[in-house]
Amino acid sequence: MLVPRQAAHGKGRAVLHASGTEAIFSELSYQYPLKLLSPDTHADIPLAIAYILSYGGGLVSGDRIELDVDVGLHSMLMLLTQGSTKVFKTRSRGSHVSTSSISNASGKTTQSLTARIRPNALLLLLPDPVTCFESSSYSQTQTFYLESVSSSAVILDWFTSGRMARGEEWDFERYRSVNEVWIAGRRIARDVMLLEQSSGSRHSPTSQLDTPPYIPLPSRSLADRLRPYACYATLFLFGPQTEKIIVSLSCAYDALSQMQIAQPDPLIWSISRLTLKEDSAKDSEDSLHEQGGRGNGAIVRVAGMLTELVRNWLRASLGELEDVVGVDSFRTAFA
Amino acid sequence: MDEDTEMYLMLLLSDGNLPTGSFVASSGLEAYVKHGFFGIPSSNSGPTRTSSLTSSPSPPSLTRSTINFIRDSLQTYAHCSLPFISAVHDVCRPVKDESATGAADDALTSLKELDDLYESMTLNHIARRASKAQGVALLTLLSRGMTRPLWLQDPPAGSPDKSILLEKLADDLKLEIRKGVVYGHLPICWGILTATLGLSCERSKHLHIFLHARSLVSASIRMNTLGPYAAQQLLLHVIRPLIDNVVMDCSKSQICLVRRSPSTIVLVDPTVDDEEENGPATTWPLGEILGARHDLQHSRIFNS
Repeated sequence: MLVPRQAAHGKGRAVLHASGTEAIFSELSYQYPLKLLSPDTHADIPLAIAYILSYGGGLVSGDRIELDVDVGLHSMLMLLTQGSTKVFKTRSRGSHVSTSSISNASGKTTQSLTARIRPNALLLLLPDPVTCFESSSYSQTQTFYLESVSSSAVILDWFTSGRMARGEEWDFERYRSVNEVWIAGRRIARDVMLLEQSSGSRHSPTSQLDTPPYIPLPSRSLADRLRPYACYATLFLFGPQTEKIIVSLSCAYDALSQMQIAQPDPLIWSISRLTLKEDSAKDSEDSLHEQGGRGNGAIVRVAGMLTELVRNWLRASLGELEDVVGVDSFRTAFA
Repeated sequence: MDEDTEMYLMLLLSDGNLPTGSFVASSGLEAYVKHGFFGIPSSNSGPTRTSSLTSSPSPPSLTRSTINFIRDSLQTYAHCSLPFISAVHDVCRPVKDESATGAADDALTSLKELDDLYESMTLNHIARRASKAQGVALLTLLSRGMTRPLWLQDPPAGSPDKSILLEKLADDLKLEIRKGVVYGHLPICWGILTATLGLSCERSKHLHIFLHARSLVSASIRMNTLGPYAAQQLLLHVIRPLIDNVVMDCSKSQICLVRRSPSTIVLVDPTVDDEEENGPATTWPLGEILGARHDLQHSRIFNS
C-alpha cells in the first residue's frame, strides 16, 4: 500500500535501439517518484521490456510524471506496470476535507508520455488499469508519433471504477485521458476521454430569467452514466505488426448479430477501423468515404462488469502477439 | 441581425423535414435499447446517490430510460461538437468583411483543418458515417434551399448582402467534399450554414443541441418507446433545462490549433494546444461502444 509522501515532478527517458538480435537501451533515465526497470528478456529478438513504476505504489495529488520514449529502427519495446496505477487524493492529516475546497489545478495528478516509433519498430504499451480513488483527480496525455506506415503500436489505456472492495463505484472527481496517434506526420486519432463528477445541471439558469420556468433535474453522476460496467478499456492497434489482430477481431465482430436482450451483457466491445487520409484522393472517389481498402489501424473499446472479464478478453484477443514478442514476454504482459 | 429575422431563421431551421435531422439517425439509441439498457433498474444503490430522477412520483420506466439516454447523449455530443461550431463561426467572421483579401482562402484552410480534427476525434465509424451524411446534406440545403432565388429582385440598395462571400466559401467546401479531400462533418457544416445565414454563434449552438435532442425524441417515437404526446411533454418540460445546461457547460470549451512540431519530428497537421484541458472531449465511453455496435443489430430501423 501507499506510503504517504510529498507530491513530486519526475521525468524519465528511454531510448532503445536494435543491434542484431538484441535491443539495447542507449538511455534509460528517471527521476523520483518515477522509476524504470528493465528485466532481461532472454529472447533472441530485439525486444526490451521496461516497467514503469512509482515510489510508494501509487500517485498522489500534485504528482507530475513525464516520460519520453524513443523506439529505434527494427526494435520492439514493451512498456508494463506492476499492478494498477492507483491515484490517491491527498487530504490534510486526519480530516476529510470536502472535495470542492481542494479540487483545483494544483491538486491534480498528471502523467504524460511521448513516444516516437521509428520505421519497422513496435511499441507495446500494456499497463494495468488506472484506478482513481474516491475524490481523486487524474489527467493523462499520451502522444505517439509513428514515423512511417511500417511503424507499429499496440496501445492499451484502461481504467476501473475505483476500490470496489471498499464499495467505491465511480467516486473519483475527475479523470481525463488523451491519446493522440500520428502516422508520418498526420494525426490519425485523437481520443479525449473526460469523466467528471456531476458535470451538468449545477448551473443556475441564465441571468435573464429570474424564475426558471422549470425545476432542474438532479445531476447525473458518473456511476449513473457508466453502470453496469466497472472497467472500460480502449485499445489502439496500428501498423503491420497488428494487422493479424485487426483482421481476426474484425471478422469476429462482423459475425456478431445482436438480438434484443433484457439486460446488458457482462462484457461488450466494439471495433472501428482507422485509415490514413490519402492526400492524393482526387483520383479515387471513395478513398475517403469507404471503410474498405488497406486499414492502417483500429480502435477497440471494451467494457466489462469486472476488471478480470476485460483482462481475459484482452489476453485472448491479443494472443497473436505471441508470434511477435514470444510466448514468455506475452505472458509477462498478461500475468 | 435583428431579433425578428433571427427568430424567423430559427423557425425555418427547426423544421423536422430538413436534414437537420428527425427520423434519420438515432445516435446510438436504437443500439442502447437493443442491448438491454432500458432494463437497468433506476439507481438508488446507496445513500450517497443523489442522482437520477428522484422526484416522486417517478416517470414511467420507459420514459425514465429515454430521459437518461438523452441526458448522457446530449452531454457527450455537446462536448464533442460545440467547440467546433464556435471555431467555425470564428473562422467565418472575417470572410464577411470584403476588404480583407485572402480571408476566404485562409478560412477554407482552417475549415479543412477543423474538419480533419473532428474526423480524428470521432473514432466510432457509425457516428462518422452519420455525421458526414448529414454534413453534406446541410451544405446542399444551403446552396439549393437558402440562397436568394435568381428571379427575385436584388435587396434594396444600402443593405449589401454580405452572405455572398460565405455562400461561395460553402460551395468551395462542398466541391472539396465531392472530390473526396474533405470529410464534411456535421458540426463543421452546421457552423458554416448558420454563419452564412447570419445566426449568432450562441443561437447556432443552442439550436444544434436542441435538434440533436429532438431527433432522439423523434427516434423514440418511431421505436415506440415514447408516445407522441409524452414526447411533446418531454421537449417542453424536461429537455429545455438539459439543453441550457450542456450548452453552458461547454461555453468555455474551445479549440486552439497551432503549427508547432516537436523537435526533429515533422508534422503536417497542426497540433491541438489544450493546456487548459477545455477542448472537445468524449464524456460517455458506454455510448461510444453501443453507437459503434449499431450495425451488429439483427434488425434495425435507423442508420445510426
